[in-house]
Amino acid sequence: MDECKLVILGFGAVGQGFARAVLMKKEFIKEKYGVGLKIVAVADSSSSAICADGLAEEELLKSKAISGKVGSYPDCGSDLTGTDLLDAVDYDILIEATPTNIQTAEPAKSLTLKAFAHGKDVVTSNKGHLALFYKELIEAKEAAGVEFKFEASVGGAMPIINLCQENLASCGISSIKGILNGTTNYILSRMTSEGTSYENTLNEAQHLGIAETDPTQDVEGIDAACKVVILANSVLGIDATYSDVEVRGISNVTLEAIELAKEEGYYVKLIGEVSKNNLKVSPRLVKQNSQFAIDGTLNLATVTTDLADEITVMGKGAGSLETASAMLSDLISIIKNK
Amino acid sequence: MRMDLILEILDVPGQLVSVLSPLGDLGANLVTVIHQRENKNEKGMVPIQLTLEGERENLNAVIEKYKEMNLSIIEIDGVVRKEYFSTILYGHIIDTDVRDTVDKINAVEGLVVSALQFKLEGELASTALLTIEMDVGKREYAYEKVMEIAKEKDFLVIDEV
Repeated sequence: MDECKLVILGFGAVGQGFARAVLMKKEFIKEKYGVGLKIVAVADSSSSAICADGLAEEELLKSKAISGKVGSYPDCGSDLTGTDLLDAVDYDILIEATPTNIQTAEPAKSLTLKAFAHGKDVVTSNKGHLALFYKELIEAKEAAGVEFKFEASVGGAMPIINLCQENLASCGISSIKGILNGTTNYILSRMTSEGTSYENTLNEAQHLGIAETDPTQDVEGIDAACKVVILANSVLGIDATYSDVEVRGISNVTLEAIELAKEEGYYVKLIGEVSKNNLKVSPRLVKQNSQFAIDGTLNLATVTTDLADEITVMGKGAGSLETASAMLSDLISIIKNK
Repeated sequence: MRMDLILEILDVPGQLVSVLSPLGDLGANLVTVIHQRENKNEKGMVPIQLTLEGERENLNAVIEKYKEMNLSIIEIDGVVRKEYFSTILYGHIIDTDVRDTVDKINAVEGLVVSALQFKLEGELASTALLTIEMDVGKREYAYEKVMEIAKEKDFLVIDEV
């Protein structure tokens, strides 16, 4: 393979981050792996840009920034989106970066299955379809004989899935415990350091763009629970889906609880736990001198193994370029195996 | 490698022999043994100090054997084999009889409430941090007990990782 044709579906923070990452790294990838990356189509929710000769990353980002629609790309704009677009273009790998939908898993699920049906590999940052239909997707991937990589879906830039599946291949993994949501970690850290109430801290996080206008997915633990499901399936081989996770968020964590914990040498953190007997997300006490005592929007995971004992990783759990880094690494690993 | 152990045995004939006899078969060598019968602890048990030598898996086999024999291991290499488990409870702690909450936990074998801190918020709900001391390996047990009480008394739980 000396050229790799990419389709990016979903052009929000992650999709744009991916285009930027390609722009920054394509020379390096060409030099090191001998493969030229070419973005042949990009779609957002209502428009697309398509060009078999390749689209310029700067121009894509500019068009999106100016009009809010990637379809305003000069001379290459189109109304085709979603599965219709996949049917219409010639591509090698789908970069799927549409928003997570935990109710129906769409459009991610249809797009992914369509790409598999075309015999194409898929790299995704999406959690919804993995959390709801993991088994179905993996079966479809295997039937199609293609690659399906989703490192970016858990912990953003922090390597965890590939770390466990590849680097820790010799080890039996009995549990993963971690801080899998940056927004809630920010809120809990600020309540601890500033002594502010949950409501005020949430407002502050929303002003800073750390929490969304509707913060439900984060604060109620839904986002972290999706990641627990993905880790359970992909690392521990547990056939679980979203409804198997016991989920409790942080909206009823009081300042008194945080202060009492602090006085006694603990912090309160939203912890996702994955083990054979336990799939849960809940506020927990962590010792102030433990690895879990991290501040801000960082993510962290501790993997307990039989041979290597404990391994802990930490990194940026969100952010456009950070999340794109995980997707680009997934893409490189697919290219290397071709 | 070497391993230092402190065990507790009952003060009845044959106990020391039963502790030492499995060693040879499990591939562990006895380096020292200190056994002073007059040194009983508050529970009326006699502590024995052992230093063993062997490969890691042999020494682990000894520990497993002792657990199987229901011997209580107090320390391994200077580390006390007691665990502490802290948990925050939030709800009507006082109104639902805090004494009863503590008694229920203490009633479980191997669990003792060793500390209890409160933050009271007037007539409203209050927050308590409870620390339970327990024998090693009883953690799940302690957690289940706390959750059972929390469910019954409608407390929110923030348990330790």
